Amino acid sequence: MSGAASPSDPAAVAVDVSGLSKQFGPVRALDDVSLQAPAGTITAVMGENGAGKSTLMKVLAGLDSPTAGTVTVAGEQVRRFDAATMLSRHRVALVPQELALAQARSVAENIMLGAEPGPRAFPNRAEIVQRAAALLGRLGENLDPRRPVGELDAATQQLVVIARSLARDANVVIFDEPTSVLSPAESERLFTVIDGLRADGVTMLYVSHRMPEVFRLSDHVHVLRDGRHVGAWRTADAEPDDIVSAMVGRTLQHEPKAAGTTPATSSAAAPRLQVRELRGAGFDSVTVDIAPGEVIGVAGLPDSGRIELLRAVFGADHRTGGTMHLDGEPFAPHSPRDAIRARVAYLPGERRHQGIFPTMSVADNVNALTLDRHVRFGLLRRRSLRRDADEHARELRVKTSTTAQAITQLSGGNQQKALLARWLSIDPRLMVLDEPTRGVDVGAKAELYALFRSLTERGVAVLASSSDLPELLAISDRIAVMAAGRVVDIVPAAEATEEGVMAMATGARTMKETA
Amino acid sequence: MTQLATDEPTTTPETASAPSPLQRFLHAREASTLLALVLLFVVGTVVAPGFVGADNFLSVGQQISQLGIMAVGVTFVIINAEIDLSVGSVYALGAVSCGLLITEGLAWPLAALGGVAAGAVAGFLNGAMTVGFGIPSFIVTLGTLSLYRGVALLLSDGAPISLSSDQPGVAEFNLLGQGELFGLFPMQLVIFALIAVLGMVVLSRSRYGFNSYAVGGSAEAARLCGINAGHVKIAAFTISGTLAGLSGVLGLSFLSYVQGVTGTGMELTVISAVIIGGAALFGGSGTMLGTVIGVAFIGVLQNILNLRGISSFWQTVATGAVIILAVAADTWMRKRSGKR
Repeated sequence: MSGAASPSDPAAVAVDVSGLSKQFGPVRALDDVSLQAPAGTITAVMGENGAGKSTLMKVLAGLDSPTAGTVTVAGEQVRRFDAATMLSRHRVALVPQELALAQARSVAENIMLGAEPGPRAFPNRAEIVQRAAALLGRLGENLDPRRPVGELDAATQQLVVIARSLARDANVVIFDEPTSVLSPAESERLFTVIDGLRADGVTMLYVSHRMPEVFRLSDHVHVLRDGRHVGAWRTADAEPDDIVSAMVGRTLQHEPKAAGTTPATSSAAAPRLQVRELRGAGFDSVTVDIAPGEVIGVAGLPDSGRIELLRAVFGADHRTGGTMHLDGEPFAPHSPRDAIRARVAYLPGERRHQGIFPTMSVADNVNALTLDRHVRFGLLRRRSLRRDADEHARELRVKTSTTAQAITQLSGGNQQKALLARWLSIDPRLMVLDEPTRGVDVGAKAELYALFRSLTERGVAVLASSSDLPELLAISDRIAVMAAGRVVDIVPAAEATEEGVMAMATGARTMKETA
Repeated sequence: MTQLATDEPTTTPETASAPSPLQRFLHAREASTLLALVLLFVVGTVVAPGFVGADNFLSVGQQISQLGIMAVGVTFVIINAEIDLSVGSVYALGAVSCGLLITEGLAWPLAALGGVAAGAVAGFLNGAMTVGFGIPSFIVTLGTLSLYRGVALLLSDGAPISLSSDQPGVAEFNLLGQGELFGLFPMQLVIFALIAVLGMVVLSRSRYGFNSYAVGGSAEAARLCGINAGHVKIAAFTISGTLAGLSGVLGLSFLSYVQGVTGTGMELTVISAVIIGGAALFGGSGTMLGTVIGVAFIGVLQNILNLRGISSFWQTVATGAVIILAVAADTWMRKRSGKR
């Protein structure tokens, strides 16, 4: 435990975690973790998937109880680890990744739930609305609190959850990867809200994968690895590389994409995929060529139509016009099945709901597209299936004790590698990647980038999209910026900057003006 | 959670030791159900006179066969993350159709096929409506639970259908439900065993079984892998209807008698057996072996209560308690092993 955080300011400690351990069966999710969050500051907790961040936050929010160790909040030791006690007695609130709101009920009811004014059995409805509006106003949001929560986008729902914790007078607010569902603009708005909370003296714990936001927001950074506390810094004194090294337990080489490997082919070779005037729900008149071995990165806000474009190219959604050609042949998939037959692969953005088969083993997940190779006399040969999956898992360095294990027991990065193995089995000509590293930790990200690179070196064309703009700039050869369903411009990634792309994506400028 | 709390940078499949077959068995969901069944056998041996013995076991086997055949079908539906509440009514529909065809003078094998086909059509319609209208199968089959029952009552005109053994072919037809293979094994039990084994092979070793688990686990992920989730589900409902129809035909053959109200409430016992056997209503999990054990559990429980001369009202109470206990025990064990 190097460089343990010594809160230099003599301010009171809001949350004091001491010797905390949590055991799940044979797995030690937290191992003797100690850290302190000084009152009125933002303490970031970083770590790879499976490092124990989420478990720690769950314990602090009372959703799990520790096997050993103590938690002290504002000088009072926590005796009962349940959510209601943490909230009402210790005033610790959680803003979880998966927002749990009553979708059919109004914003006001959701915010004031458990803190309704008036008599307990018959709360004063007018006052509920009024107080909810006031709390939202404090967060700089003037939304009608009578609207049902289900009508709101993810970012606004998140504000509702934050307002709810204010309604319960929370002194400590825990954010668990709050920006994972937000666009850059929405994230920026959240950061303003967080700044405001800090000014009001609220103590915050902030869990994230993303380095820039941790540096933007936090006062201290703590790193967990394999359930242990492995490092702490004052953010002002920290170097990003040190934090990354602590997270992965080794030094990491930078170079998502080796400069100079950009295929100069984009104009010379015949395009692998030719898209002309493609139209569908959410996008219009998209024209783009992708050369073999080229990576086109589609940038844009979440509602720019980029996700819909990717799905339509794969045949998952209907197209209403335009044409596509794959290696010169007409390509008009009516379903994913047609696309798969044409050796087009698609890694969906929502891994949990669209990618994995959650009740099945790693082996079955990997082999989902190639079962026919393992059929004899109409029967699946389980052993041959396993052998094949073992081989793929080893090739892509999927960390799994055995491929017979359930895929949900793997970390996000390893699930993604298993899904990549699934799609590589059809020897794809074109890969469509939506948020290829969402929920993937730093170490696995680097491995995924290397895998993508080896694919493009073999001539696979890639159509990728990501809300992580630096990542998209790093892995792409050219960037197609979408706004309001249309491609605004296509520029070489080497010449593009984050600021320039964002300006175009938000419709503020075109690239030419920025250049 | 995760298994990554080790210091090894990478654990490849080669370096880690795979669990032994015994460990795998002990972790399997069937193990706990099987253990419960064994315990029940021990209890039966102690408290129920006449429980131990080939005669009693074979008669239990006979009694659970119709239930078991239907449970095999419903297992497919539940693994596909759907539910079939109509099987009790389809049972009646199959039996009444077959009975009418025989009374009309049709050769018994064709009449039997007719009963099975009626079930297949009913099941197909359940699936086609669920997928086609995009509404929950709970609603569709709640509707057809009543609708098919009504059709069975209309066909039989509310009157019982009795097969007279004077009629040609009826004696042979009755062998389906009453006969014994080698003069020992009840024919119904033999048919149940064949169907269970077939179901087991289809579920665990066929492309269709694979697709069922995939669709039940995540229909959208299955679609993006080129699997036609709608077809897979419709097929599951059709299997369920077919087997319910077959079960009805066996019921008619066993009793030589059927009414429009036959099989009322049977769907609940069938679904109970599947759930005791470990299939989750969320879909994507469950095995045929589990279902067979679940069916046996219900059969043995009722047998013990019968032998002790306990009223059938208590049997109904016991079945209900067992369902809750089985799922509660399973949930508790999952929590303990840290899987979520």
